[in-house]
Amino acid sequence: MVRNIVVLGGNSHPALVESLCNILGLPACNRVLTKFSSGESRCEIQDSVRGKDVYIIQTGFGGNGSKLNDHFMDLCIMISACKTGSARRVTAVLPLFPYSRQPDLPYKKSGAPLFKASSENGKKDYTFDSVPATPAPGVPRSAGFVNGTDITSRLAKTSLTNGTGSMSPVKQANGDSFFHGANGQGFATPGFTTHDYENGSHIGAFQAKPGYKQWVAQAGTLVANLLTCAGADHVITMDLHDPQVQGFFDVPVDNLYGRPLLKRYITTHIPNYKEAVIISPDAGGAKRATAIADSLGMDFALIHKERRPTKITDRQNASMMLVGNVTDRVCILIDDLLDTGNTITRAAKLLKKEGATTIYALLTHGVFSGDAINRVKASAIDKVIVTNSVPQDEHKALLGSKLDVLDISPIFAEAIRRVHHGESISVLFNYD
Amino acid sequence: MSAEMANEIKLISGRSHPELSEKIAKRLGIEVARTISLNYSNQETSFTVGESVRDEDVFIVQSTATGDVNEGLMELLIMISACRTASARRITAVIPNFPYARQDKKDKSRAPISARLVANMLQTAGANHIVTVDLHASQVSFFSVPVDNLYAEPSFLRYIRENFKTEDCVIVSPDAGGAKRATSIADHLNTAFALIHKERPRPNVVGRMVLVGNVEDKIAILVDDMADTCGTLVKAAAVLKENGAKSVLALVTHGILSGNAIETLNSSVLEALVVTNTVPLGDKVERCPKLRVIDISPTLAEAIRRTHNGESVSYLFNHAPV
Repeated sequence: MVRNIVVLGGNSHPALVESLCNILGLPACNRVLTKFSSGESRCEIQDSVRGKDVYIIQTGFGGNGSKLNDHFMDLCIMISACKTGSARRVTAVLPLFPYSRQPDLPYKKSGAPLFKASSENGKKDYTFDSVPATPAPGVPRSAGFVNGTDITSRLAKTSLTNGTGSMSPVKQANGDSFFHGANGQGFATPGFTTHDYENGSHIGAFQAKPGYKQWVAQAGTLVANLLTCAGADHVITMDLHDPQVQGFFDVPVDNLYGRPLLKRYITTHIPNYKEAVIISPDAGGAKRATAIADSLGMDFALIHKERRPTKITDRQNASMMLVGNVTDRVCILIDDLLDTGNTITRAAKLLKKEGATTIYALLTHGVFSGDAINRVKASAIDKVIVTNSVPQDEHKALLGSKLDVLDISPIFAEAIRRVHHGESISVLFNYD
Repeated sequence: MSAEMANEIKLISGRSHPELSEKIAKRLGIEVARTISLNYSNQETSFTVGESVRDEDVFIVQSTATGDVNEGLMELLIMISACRTASARRITAVIPNFPYARQDKKDKSRAPISARLVANMLQTAGANHIVTVDLHASQVSFFSVPVDNLYAEPSFLRYIRENFKTEDCVIVSPDAGGAKRATSIADHLNTAFALIHKERPRPNVVGRMVLVGNVEDKIAILVDDMADTCGTLVKAAAVLKENGAKSVLALVTHGILSGNAIETLNSSVLEALVVTNTVPLGDKVERCPKLRVIDISPTLAEAIRRTHNGESVSYLFNHAPV
């Protein structure tokens, strides 16, 4: 029994709250957390929190009829209520941190690589007659284009044939203009994206102003600031997609690792694991995957998403390349987050093509949003292993034996216990 | 871009009330800025900016759609934060119906003061200025940035003057808290005033009601700042009818009309419910023949114009632009 501590659960993950309380040996704080009929959150905390160390459990997951933004607002309201209720310290426990992932930048697939390609082209026979770096009046904008394409006329043609004017020219510093990503398809529909939209049909109608590169707001810092503003004194989370998020906060953040759990699963559940290969499905996760590969003495391979367009019309061509050998071997994909499942299922497809025998996918957070369940079902992945940082009951019911769920509550319970007693939690980072 | 074009009004609309934004934009003779808000499949809100807001005077219009308050609030915060990141000169949040306005005091142990939390969150996100309608004066002080609290009262006064003979009317406040609002209208119209005292055992539940004042053979006009489930209004209307009122109508700023409000209204003795369009009403106007709507967008547009040009807004406290 831990004294002077209050565990307050949100609505997003009641099972985790229950299991945390069981481990800590105390009842969850009585509270009413519903909505008024107008849609405003209603929160009543029924047990005293005066002078207590309060831990509020709310994960960044919306599903089963609940909404992510509702959960986040509930969390802020609960924090604020505990603060005004004279709690000594309020710790927000977010197993999955909402808005922690950078959104896909729509111009990444078109604008940026194309810019590189054209400047490489330009270098070959650059002369003193080439267009100056600054656009000047009277100078044709496409004069610098050396591959014989008259881009101005092509642009004119596009806008004629395409009544909506969906291709917008973007002026670059070097005076070239080229097609830019505000095409009618929008940025969510093409083959490769790690974010899906719930209501993608609206995007087609949306166009940036000509000459402006549209961009997507990044909410990570905002969410951090809002939690601090609500009154959180401490944040506990797990496997942040961007460890930099930790730096967005002015309060201490404990970023726990799911890695020990994944490692234990590999050593206990994967037969002959020493012969298997650890795979990172993208370059960004390489560090995470190599850490596991190194500590278990396993081989490592990496999948590289190539986004270099080969032709001007081919700008959304994203291919995948495998670096390393997986022929006739068991592959273990390691990543932090399964959202739409795009990355992992495509990686699995590639691995099968390269001759992998069995494919496991180990991920800390299994959000399974959008079509992820069907995608995973139909994919070459033999087994998906996720933690219960978000509720997995529904996913388990749909995926059956293809999905294994690891329990994170012991880690979080231990973190809460240690934070409460002022003990070091660094031992949890190497916990085996 | 020429010098006189710099620092223009950029009107950004959230998803909650695009009609109101369109009306404001039309009134101002500008276009709503090209932005789009969507939800990812993992339900995180995404906001895409499609034109430059650098050094512009940004006004973000976001109301509260019934049932989706948190969704709208989060979207607003992300929009504000995005505009700040995009180097807007000033960001004004135009929030016709302030969310969580009712949760403004610690009325029992550990009750959240959510209205203050929302105020803090808006400032944290980067709002430099707030424009709202009929917020309680005490809540304005939750903010440390300027708040322009506009009133629907001038619009109501005009509505009453245009539709009724003022000497036939009696202005009624449905609770003690709204007495000030109601007396102000009664004073402006030089009419009688009455008050209903009510007991409220639980939220969204209305207890016993007592009428103070005389409404016999008069047109009783109930005045309030919001109509949510309409339980209060309908009960008050019944009390007024019992006390001999010729007819009863209600003038309410924010028509939230959640839950079974429409059914409650349709089966009530209330002759008409007049609301402003601070809250999106959707198909409620079709579903409820008693519902009338006053357009508040001229007031909001004028407030935006005056704020942008650095003119006084106080004129709008007593006058409704036509």
